[in-house]
Amino acid sequence: MYSELVMDYAKLTKYKGKLNNATFIQEGKNLSCGDEITLYVKIESDKVKEIKFEGIGCAISQASANLMIETVSGKNLSEVKEIIKNAVAMARGEEFSEEVLETVAQLADIKNYPMRIKCFLLAWKTLEMALNEK
Amino acid sequence: MLLKGLLDDFPVLQRTINGKNLIYLDSAASSLKPSKVVDKVAEFYSYHYANVHRAVHTLASESTEMMENSRSNIAKLLNAESEEIVFTSGTTMSINFIVESFVRTGILKKNDAVLVTAVEHHANFVPWLRMSKLHGFSFKAVKPSGRFGELLIDDFAQFTGENPKILAITGHSNVTGQVINIKKIRELFPDTILIVDGAQLLPHNKVDVKDLNIDFLVFSAHKMLGPSGIGVLYGKKKLLEKMEPFLYGGEMIDKVTLEDVTFNVLPYKFEAGTPHIAGIVGFGVAVDYLNSIGFENISEHVSELTQYAIDKISKLDFVEIYGPLNEEHHAILSFNIDGVHPHDVAHMLDQEFGIAVRSGHHCAQPLMSILKDESKLSLFPNATCRASFYIYNTKDDIDILVDGIKFVKRWFS
Repeated sequence: MYSELVMDYAKLTKYKGKLNNATFIQEGKNLSCGDEITLYVKIESDKVKEIKFEGIGCAISQASANLMIETVSGKNLSEVKEIIKNAVAMARGEEFSEEVLETVAQLADIKNYPMRIKCFLLAWKTLEMALNEK
Repeated sequence: MLLKGLLDDFPVLQRTINGKNLIYLDSAASSLKPSKVVDKVAEFYSYHYANVHRAVHTLASESTEMMENSRSNIAKLLNAESEEIVFTSGTTMSINFIVESFVRTGILKKNDAVLVTAVEHHANFVPWLRMSKLHGFSFKAVKPSGRFGELLIDDFAQFTGENPKILAITGHSNVTGQVINIKKIRELFPDTILIVDGAQLLPHNKVDVKDLNIDFLVFSAHKMLGPSGIGVLYGKKKLLEKMEPFLYGGEMIDKVTLEDVTFNVLPYKFEAGTPHIAGIVGFGVAVDYLNSIGFENISEHVSELTQYAIDKISKLDFVEIYGPLNEEHHAILSFNIDGVHPHDVAHMLDQEFGIAVRSGHHCAQPLMSILKDESKLSLFPNATCRASFYIYNTKDDIDILVDGIKFVKRWFS
């Protein structure tokens, strides 16, 4: 699970921090470890203009958050929803589209570690909550 | 040596995990089960099982007798009377039971004070906190002023003037590994109802409830080689007699009319419905097994392992160990590797070394924020890694754990 890709994305700092002009802010929690994430999302003309996140977490949750942001940035909301749907399916070991998920698909091994699926999904579930709230 | 032949009693230790021999360092969460316990439960279900207390046929009588033998076995272990041993589903249920029953009975009222500690497991924290909000009694937590969550006797002494009605404390922290000196605390609060959460204490120590003058002692079978889903609530007879039952129905009933109901005698008054009969029988066997090893031997063996682990791991300058570092620290070692989240540590120890450790907040979130304040780590993850030791662990296990910790640090650097 701890591939070079995961380790690289876990250490990425590009998407960390606050967005002062966020359209909405969403908090997410992983109850089993106490990890928390806050997503700052800026939507413009139905597109994800920018996302940043704050919070600490394990390498898998951090890598997943960074990969998610990289993947959904610039996409319109219906595309983002499709990406989230595929990421959740991938984590659960169900069928998903590699094409839709792009680099995220390289984390497909997560399905083999049931106890870590929550770590992987933290950012995704938080974004999903944010979009549902919208 | 304590361990000679003992490892054979735990078949799971023959397993390999990711190609490595299993090293089980998660006994504080739940212990492994010896064959004797597993076999007894299987034999009981296969040849003796029937519901207890209600019928006169042979199986019912065997089942009842075996269950009641377990009860007297456990009573003997605590130096208590059989009628003072109430079977519950575990420590959490036992504590919720006490809180709820106290409120129903009027033992706990508005203006009464309940004192717990900030190192408690949520099970001995949240029920008191929540019910204080619903019923108006006061709730305070003793804050640890020692090293990383270590409770000092002075921390308790500050509250003697408040004359708490109830003092509900852990006997052995599931995070800091500190064994609490119950005797000294009892001396400080001679008239307070003393409730001891023995979930982590009982697997390692013989607790004499009379000698320590404990009013209630709660613990779980699954942390002391027994089945899960079974636990004990020990209560002093005179208190249990006063208390209103928490659950109504089944064996706890004496007489029901259209107007009112009376309850069964102790301990049945508190055992509503069909209990976890096989679990209770299995627990009795687990207690026999522990007795056959001897609690002094268990404590000595685990203490030796704990000190060995503390010595080795405290030499690693990138690791922070929580709790006291003296002999009060027993069986449980919580730590963090600087810059690595405990879930990553635990996952990698499992994958690369076959080591099972727990990671997370260990259901002790108030304590996590205390540890965070004292932490020197670059980023405290609101969680720790926890290695916990029991009779089936060896110094070799700890040597491999130390190798594992070094490996994880290298991987993440």
